[in-house]
Amino acid sequence: MGSPFKVSYKADIALFQNLWVKFWLAVLILLMVILPFFLSRYQLSILNEMGIAVIGALGLNLLIGYTGQISLGHGAFVAIGAYTSGLLTGKLGAHFIISLPLSGLMAAVLGLIVGIPSLRLKGLYLALGTLAFGFVIEYVLFHWDLTQGDLGMAVKRISLGDFQIKTQRQYFYLISTFAFLAVLVTKNIVRSKIGRSFIAIRDRDIAAEAMGISLAKYKIMAFGLSAFYAGIAGCLTAHYNRWIVPGSFDISLSIAYIAMIIMGGLGTVLGSVLGAILITGIPHGIVYIVDLIKASYPALSGFIIDFKLGIFGLVIVGTLLFEPAGLFGIYRRIKVYWKTWPFKY
Amino acid sequence: MQKRSIIVCLLLAVSICLWAGATWAADVRGVTENEIKLACLVDFSGPGKYAGPPLALGAETYIKYVNDRGGVHGRKINLIVEDNGILPNTTLAAAKKVILKDEIFAIGFNLGSSGSSAIIPLCEENKVVMMPHGANKRFYNPGNKWVFVPYATQFNMGSRAVEFILEQNPNARIGMIYQDDDYGQDGLEGARAAAKFMKTKLVQEAPYKIGTIDMSPQMRMMKEANVDWILAWTYLPQTGGIMKEKAKMNWDVNVVGTNTTAYRQIFPILGELADGYMAVTPYVPWEDTPQRTRDILQKYGVLDKVATSPFPAPLFFGCWTYFAAMVEGLQQAGPNLTPESFIKGLEKVQNLDVGGICPNITFTPERHVGYFSSLVVKADAKNQKYDIISAIKDPKTPQD
Repeated sequence: MGSPFKVSYKADIALFQNLWVKFWLAVLILLMVILPFFLSRYQLSILNEMGIAVIGALGLNLLIGYTGQISLGHGAFVAIGAYTSGLLTGKLGAHFIISLPLSGLMAAVLGLIVGIPSLRLKGLYLALGTLAFGFVIEYVLFHWDLTQGDLGMAVKRISLGDFQIKTQRQYFYLISTFAFLAVLVTKNIVRSKIGRSFIAIRDRDIAAEAMGISLAKYKIMAFGLSAFYAGIAGCLTAHYNRWIVPGSFDISLSIAYIAMIIMGGLGTVLGSVLGAILITGIPHGIVYIVDLIKASYPALSGFIIDFKLGIFGLVIVGTLLFEPAGLFGIYRRIKVYWKTWPFKY
Repeated sequence: MQKRSIIVCLLLAVSICLWAGATWAADVRGVTENEIKLACLVDFSGPGKYAGPPLALGAETYIKYVNDRGGVHGRKINLIVEDNGILPNTTLAAAKKVILKDEIFAIGFNLGSSGSSAIIPLCEENKVVMMPHGANKRFYNPGNKWVFVPYATQFNMGSRAVEFILEQNPNARIGMIYQDDDYGQDGLEGARAAAKFMKTKLVQEAPYKIGTIDMSPQMRMMKEANVDWILAWTYLPQTGGIMKEKAKMNWDVNVVGTNTTAYRQIFPILGELADGYMAVTPYVPWEDTPQRTRDILQKYGVLDKVATSPFPAPLFFGCWTYFAAMVEGLQQAGPNLTPESFIKGLEKVQNLDVGGICPNITFTPERHVGYFSSLVVKADAKNQKYDIISAIKDPKTPQD
């Protein structure tokens, strides 16, 4: 049951490789169903933030981790999704079921356009191009009357018919369903022809082209797909927070997403999930620690607050130094250890 | 037998009251029989971290003062000070923490206008009254049931500044340099409204992006428009840039800023160049703080700190006055405290004197902004202090 020898491509790329995977997946789903009944509203709100981050991180990992195209404009695509849904539901009265895919599509269309320069630009130059795109979007959101400047705009609750999503628990079920679907779709993309083309481009684009992979098509597609995920994440963010301001989608959000996939593990689906959980969780972890020690060690808690960003940075630098493969690397090592136990290798 | 029945009835009545009281207390988040939990969200780690410590000290000192006087209707106030990082995302995280985890009753102070906007739905959903600092006209017009602003907004101060200038010179040519965000825009709109009301207009408007320090392009625009008064809706670094540029250009132009620059830090930054700089602010300069307020600071051991330059006394008093308004609202709400009764209590706050450091505060069901008035101060670089040159006054321009 541990590691069966695979004798076909079909077995090699199977979504659920063996019974154990299916078993643990069932356990996870069961946990997700019952967990909200044991957690506080605050803990659920953290999980909801993590769920949305997972969707955005998966999209960015498709672009950076799988295709090797750097982007510093992911936050802008999240903003496009958020504002598209906010405007569609708020100004045009569109239903969430319609605004959700349209948010993703709007972000994807702009992603396809941003992807065009990637045919000529690489590395730092591409990073600068996407960064500039982020600034343009931020400027538009600040100055366009429709988006109501940097005080932002209200967004409606998600409603499905007469039923409105109101509580943290209801949001948890909705967001985790979308996060689960996003993981599943990403897994499928990665094991398909598209995913293999992405990986080929990342590993050596000239060789990929020589093999008949259209660089233009797949690079632009990667941008579009990545932006689609970001748009969906943005839409969910908007309806979850019910208020959007341009300041929430600035360069720091793009950097946070990059940190997620680097910390989690570039070019891995599980890495995106773990990275999103870690990066979203660190500030909340700091809050818990500060609360714990505030009464006994006020000076230390003050120090932690003062150096919050520094601590955040240290965790990232530490991970890069000691675990360059990210959390996925740790997971893989532990897995191999137990698989080969009691042997060392 | 009758006596026994009366005793039994009395005991029953008392236990019903106690039970009802306990049930009611448990039902209102952040309120027990002995305590009310209030939150103060300030910036300790973000771009506004310089403001965090004086703001927090202001809140803590005022709450100590209230608790020492017995609290509010027998309940002591438990103040929770939290870092909000001033940005929208970090403010949302801080608000979630105090509302969902700490279960506070109300947010007495939240630093940052876009962050305050971002947490309004959370406050509405959880019935939390919130008092935003860095307030914008949008917080009271159209306003929100759960939002109270015990402060003059940039719109109000923009109007007051233009009216002050036109009092000095009815033919003044006024230009405005403003930060290209809601803070600057609100001041600009207030200035435009006052200029229109006084049947004139701003002859030049020059925005700058947040973080810009070099003000030479904006100053050149002002010079080309031949203005004789500049409204500077900026923060200290940009005001510094404007005053330095003014000296470099050898240009004798009047500069009027806003409350965010009426701090004593301007003197170490600019030295002699600060002389003559004017600012519109709701807070009296430290030198004009009434003795009764100084006595309270003395009692709580913070007088020397607040009095020492360059400690930003207006920030200290900013938080102080917010909590003064909140505590008065709690008093007016009576012992049966609920979010709704608290709103009604706040709406009864009339002409509240907060120690003579700013205009008196009044809220009504129609008006959730404490006052529109402000005063004008002028920098005296030699003595490193600000002098009041125009007393507290409401703008004549309609503010609603």
